[in-house]
Amino acid sequence: MNIVDVIDKDLIKVPLTSTDKMGIITELVDFLSEAKHYSEQQRSTVLSAVLKREGLGSTGIGKGICIPHAKTASIKEIRLVIGISRTPVDFASPDGEKSRIFFLVLAPETEASAHVELLASIARTCSSSLFRRLLEQAQDKEEVYRLFLD
Amino acid sequence: MGVPFKQIVVYIDGSEGSLSAVMYAVLLAKQNDAKLTAVYVINTRALSELVRAGVFVDVERDEYQNDLQSDADRYLRHAQKLAQQKQVNIETVKLEGTVHVMMTSLLKEINADLLVLGGVADIRSRREELASETDRMMRTSPCPVLVVRDDEEIWEAFESQGA
Repeated sequence: MNIVDVIDKDLIKVPLTSTDKMGIITELVDFLSEAKHYSEQQRSTVLSAVLKREGLGSTGIGKGICIPHAKTASIKEIRLVIGISRTPVDFASPDGEKSRIFFLVLAPETEASAHVELLASIARTCSSSLFRRLLEQAQDKEEVYRLFLD
Repeated sequence: MGVPFKQIVVYIDGSEGSLSAVMYAVLLAKQNDAKLTAVYVINTRALSELVRAGVFVDVERDEYQNDLQSDADRYLRHAQKLAQQKQVNIETVKLEGTVHVMMTSLLKEINADLLVLGGVADIRSRREELASETDRMMRTSPCPVLVVRDDEEIWEAFESQGA
């Protein structure tokens, strides 16, 4: 499984409006919950799972990219939410660089293989500095979507 | 390498396409009276990539490695069950490493004469095409490759054919 297998235009948000780490994570989870009609309990479980993972160490991987992720029994299929922020946000990344590109990845507990492959696909895709620059400059969700399908 | 096929290998990764491929391979093995081997490769390369990229912390890598082991066992058990339903002998193999490299090595080792694959998707992104493990397997296989496409028809055929 890779990004193009799961990318969903309705799960791309440009721009994100929050200005700190907690705000960005909450905004991504809320955006997903609204788009997919999650119950309040589902939303809360997903948010807790993402924050619990974040507690092990920042999912900011450097070069302006963050990949908050979690596995949770409260969802039935893998979800990928992509958000681009106009303002760089401090995500405690190892290189100290603030981030503008965010991928929220959620997977059911029984889909480890697909989850790992999707995360690896994101990391691989974002290793290109040109691609990161194009993503940061994307004006809307259509443009982000097109970039991944190019 | 033999025709008709005597040593069929099917790759399973848990995707719906790969489950269809197992069904197809079971039917094919029965018709050809061939040996059937189902293989799951735990993608430790992807795990290493994630640790190197800083996406996974060490404790998380260990947890996911265990999850992948459970996935492998579950899907290989499923393949066994499907084969039993049609009274086909099946060998299951669990490997770890880079998927297409491990598969190429196994296909050579057991002198397979057909690799059955599912889940080869339409090309939606040139970038991802180059990174897809099933695409790589298709290109690097030392034996002929059969790509299974129509999931629903195969499920129906599997259900309708007696043991």
